[in-house]
Amino acid sequence: MNRNIVPTAEEERASLHQRRRWLAQAGSGFGATALSWMMANESQAATARQPGPHFAPKAKNVIFLFMYGGPSHIDLFDPKPELDKWHGKAIPVFRKEDAFMGKTNPNALKSPFKFAKYGESGLDISDRFPELATCADDLCVIRSVHCESNNHAPALFQMQSGSLMSGHPSMGSWATYGLGSENQSLPGFVVMLDHQGAPVNGAMNWSNGFIPASHQGVPLRSSGEPIAYVRPPAGMTPKRQRRQLDLLAKWNQQYADKNPADEELASRISAYELAFNMQRQAPDAVDLGQETEAIRRMYGLDQKVNQHFGRNCLMARRLVERGVRFVQIYSGGNVGPSAWDAHDDIEKNHTLHCAETDRPIAALIKDLKQRGLFDTTLIVWGGEFGRSPTAEGGKGRDHHARGFTMWMAGGGIKGGMAYGETDEFGYHAVKDRVAVPDVHATILHLMGLDHEKLTYRFQGRDYRLTDVSGKVLSSLVG
Amino acid sequence: MFSLATIARSYTFSATKFLSGCGLVFLLAIQPSIANSEPASGAIPLDVSEILEKHCSECHGEDEAEHDLDLSNLVGTLRGSKTGPVISPARSSGSLLIQVLAKDADPHMPPEGQLTEAEIEKLSNWIDGLKSDIAVGRLKLTEADKAYWAFQPMGASLPEDVFDPSWTVNSIDPFIVSKLSKAGLSPSEPADRATLLRRVYFDLIGLPPTPAEVRAFVNSKQVDAYEQVVDRLLASPRYGERWGRHWLDLARYADSGGFHNDINRPGAWRYRDYVIDAFNRDTPYSQFVREQLAGDELKNATAQSWIATGFSRNGPSNEDNMGKGFAKEKYRLDELDGVISTTSNVFLGLTLGCARCHDHKFDPISQRDYYSFLAYFNSAEKQELMLSSFSASSPKLIAASAKPPKEAYGMVLTDRGKKYRETRLLWRGDVRKQGPVVAPAVPAVLSKTGLKDSENSTQPEDLQSSEDLSLRSDLADWMVAAENPLTWRVMANRLWHYHFGRGLVATPSNFGKLGAQPSHPKLLDWLAIKLRDGQSIKSLQRLIVTSATYRQSSSADEAETVKGSEIDPENVLLWRMNRRRLEAEPLRDALLAVGANTNFRMGGAGVKPRVRPDLLVASQRNKWPTVKADGPQHWRRSVYVYVKRQLQLPLLELFDAPSTTHSCGRRVRSLVPTQALVLLNDEFVRGQAMIFAQRVEANAADDVSSQVELALWIALSRQPSDERIRQGAEFVAMQTDALKEDGDKEPSLSALQDFCHVLMNLSEFVYID
Repeated sequence: MNRNIVPTAEEERASLHQRRRWLAQAGSGFGATALSWMMANESQAATARQPGPHFAPKAKNVIFLFMYGGPSHIDLFDPKPELDKWHGKAIPVFRKEDAFMGKTNPNALKSPFKFAKYGESGLDISDRFPELATCADDLCVIRSVHCESNNHAPALFQMQSGSLMSGHPSMGSWATYGLGSENQSLPGFVVMLDHQGAPVNGAMNWSNGFIPASHQGVPLRSSGEPIAYVRPPAGMTPKRQRRQLDLLAKWNQQYADKNPADEELASRISAYELAFNMQRQAPDAVDLGQETEAIRRMYGLDQKVNQHFGRNCLMARRLVERGVRFVQIYSGGNVGPSAWDAHDDIEKNHTLHCAETDRPIAALIKDLKQRGLFDTTLIVWGGEFGRSPTAEGGKGRDHHARGFTMWMAGGGIKGGMAYGETDEFGYHAVKDRVAVPDVHATILHLMGLDHEKLTYRFQGRDYRLTDVSGKVLSSLVG
Repeated sequence: MFSLATIARSYTFSATKFLSGCGLVFLLAIQPSIANSEPASGAIPLDVSEILEKHCSECHGEDEAEHDLDLSNLVGTLRGSKTGPVISPARSSGSLLIQVLAKDADPHMPPEGQLTEAEIEKLSNWIDGLKSDIAVGRLKLTEADKAYWAFQPMGASLPEDVFDPSWTVNSIDPFIVSKLSKAGLSPSEPADRATLLRRVYFDLIGLPPTPAEVRAFVNSKQVDAYEQVVDRLLASPRYGERWGRHWLDLARYADSGGFHNDINRPGAWRYRDYVIDAFNRDTPYSQFVREQLAGDELKNATAQSWIATGFSRNGPSNEDNMGKGFAKEKYRLDELDGVISTTSNVFLGLTLGCARCHDHKFDPISQRDYYSFLAYFNSAEKQELMLSSFSASSPKLIAASAKPPKEAYGMVLTDRGKKYRETRLLWRGDVRKQGPVVAPAVPAVLSKTGLKDSENSTQPEDLQSSEDLSLRSDLADWMVAAENPLTWRVMANRLWHYHFGRGLVATPSNFGKLGAQPSHPKLLDWLAIKLRDGQSIKSLQRLIVTSATYRQSSSADEAETVKGSEIDPENVLLWRMNRRRLEAEPLRDALLAVGANTNFRMGGAGVKPRVRPDLLVASQRNKWPTVKADGPQHWRRSVYVYVKRQLQLPLLELFDAPSTTHSCGRRVRSLVPTQALVLLNDEFVRGQAMIFAQRVEANAADDVSSQVELALWIALSRQPSDERIRQGAEFVAMQTDALKEDGDKEPSLSALQDFCHVLMNLSEFVYID
């Protein structure tokens, strides 16, 4: 074939024949033309090739528990007795430019919470997490994360997409792009919001950026219609709709038969069948009525404080069971006190949000374990940044990006360990510093993806989740 | 590349990291220009380097560059330390390197010891002798770089080979046929008249023809019936709404700012209306370019030409949270980066944004080129133009802020009343690592075009004091100069791309090495020259859509299909027409059109149709209103739907409406089950199906077959087969019976609604043959 009529390498890769091969390999219950949620027939064809996995994965699924607003490392997982000594006094490491709010002063604010050591590993955990503390030996606490913005919007973008700016694919999008989905009838990347609303940036947080829309995070609700448009309109019974779909399929098939070279037309017929199946499957996936009373209680569904986050955690388990690749659950909605954004009162704010999430998270870990899913499901906990060791106003804490904590559990990560350190005030990450791309590289690694090989070409460049950096934290991998 | 960075209010995080978001992954196999890169020409003179070696190298040498300052070579010396430059070329007294050497300096260098006065004088003389815009960041352009096809002058030519005159209609066709025959392929039969009509309607105005229009055309005996249709469509105001939307993709158009508060932009739509109007008027392309780049500087500037500069205002922005001091400057430059990237993508097909932090890895574009290009825009600021009493000589402007003006205004970019702002090359794109001063200039590789380029430009002295900078009009003049090899090719290719679903260069916004090579370079040049010489977009489109190439059937006969699929499976050579799916906007418009239900009001503020309240959860800033029920006021064409960055209308978003963060030259076409779900279950679609059914019921004879026939006619714009009418009638009858049993109050109308609803989901409805 003449070289100059083959536009680019990527289009070459995605040539019709290869796409056919891939379709055949992917296999599905829909005859000759397979179509899964992920296997969209992209006209640009730049990515009709699933790039991964690059090696055997440890984690098949990820549940990212996103504590929006910025949970305080020094009050939850990174105890700093020095803050008690320095309480009310200016700490030497404070730098004015690190403060986000004008009301922040250089004086240390001691933690209102008590820490103790838990499990055989003796991991330090705050008294606000009594249930989670019973899972101490499963947690890999990373105390030396730092990010590049102390402002919600860019920091959220960075934690989720690697870039401080909008328009880049979210981590879940990269994961489904890299690995595809195991469930034909459910999206591969699902997002669940706090009942009080979405974080700032809205849907841009789970955007597919410049990679195809089939990799976009799909919001799933625990009440009402689980996925937008999955419920037929009033009066439309399944039988009535089935008859519509039968006529539609017949006529679409005639059209496809007339144009046999056009696979998109055949794929479109499958898409309608998938859609019809989703109408059954999606409500089933979120039907918590199928769970035993014991399980529901375990997640705190009988408790007012736990019920919202608990439902989302329980749904996450059900989604993971069904092969959904990446589940992102937000704790904290909209802004201010409803998020972990404890500017005014760290004790009040974190007492509430810890209470909301403690029991469901512990239940999720234990439930995954008892079902044998823990080892193949990676749980990630963290926010867009941490909180300042210094006081904002009297008893609040400001945003803090220079050192904070995230933890991981399951999915091939070592449990019962702490990695990295902040200084004696919990201000700077000082030992084994972990940048956000390192977190991303590690998560991808556990999923069987090489963060340097997982690329997508856009506007003439190959992009990565980790941009030009990122190192896998191999000492945390079990 | 970066449209924008949101900045923390105050921080000193690593900007290097921030900017390295360029996301470039080195492809080791292809890095031609890295070796060519020659950031600084020349070296430090021996007597100077001896002094630096003797006193400074222990701490600031190659091996041990404390504070990132490496004084062992010219590049490192000019780059400076991590806190900024240490020398100011041509000005020793203002150079930190000299200042710290003074006896009483604090801090003092070297920490222990003192340079002699003679030594200091030598260093000073050397710095004073440097040109203020010392040649740093230049690329050594190779012959291969200069010989790259896209940078060559356009050549007027016709294909050499003899072609089949029986098939060709106009000058476009021989180019296509000669390539086909070389490949052993032949073009397809012309599409049937109804198919062609539907194709050209959607292509030119984004709407389907009515049954009456189809009948008239199919039955017309006039030889130029098709040409007449084309002329009529090009003259329709609907044309600008269709083609303006393509341009808005490129221009990143949105009605809100994105980011934290997704601020409303009540002035944005004036740019959208300007674009629609420009297409409808067939504004000469040169003028269209000039107005958008420098409409504020034109001699005959009007309020509209000022509003056209909104091209550079469409990107996401974060007015309410721009940071202070250093962060604010960084934010400003990030936003300008979006402008430069978009401008170079859209008009030149160049990815200039890649050269912000380092020389372009693939194309011969240096970092110096980037900053020289930036210099055209760097003095301009985001302003709002008050429209109540526009005067070209003294326009009323206020600085853009988080609170848009209450009165009528347009979003503009202008340096009116501003002083010239000096532009410096920034090492690694970091605002704290200031490099040499650069002057406004175009990329050096394009120097043949007779304009000052970044290699040879010097800072005009009078810019500093000039009242009227006219920098961007210089740039615009260069863009539209007859000898510019890119501008005309890029736009001609875009038109082709939208008509055929694939450009002659398949990457319409990237003509660089990582873009696609042209499939028909001679045709591309021929079209580009036509556009340049005629300036009329409509005329070029008329040529394209009346060509035999365009009029081909989208399905070749079986033997030809087998052969074509083997030789050219992607149909690059156009042995048939491409089948295309309707984009989001014409799809929604078609859903409205079948019910004869479109509100054709033009222009003005964007409309916000109903979004189900449970989907509004992500819209807490600049809230989308809760609309109880859609009505005719919402049923305007999709180009007038408010583009909210944080919540696009779900129907449009699901069908791949552009994200608005980056310029979009080519839409993705995804196929996901949720698209089926929205067309099946969305209340808007169901509602339109009912209106469609009522229209059919009111206009067809009172029997099911007639109703089915009319519905098929309306939906697919052609005479349906008897078989289809029969099957459709069977469906309606069956559905009516079932609905009767279910207790439906109007079973026959509901059944007809279900039938109409099926039609709206048909592939034949959603695709253009």
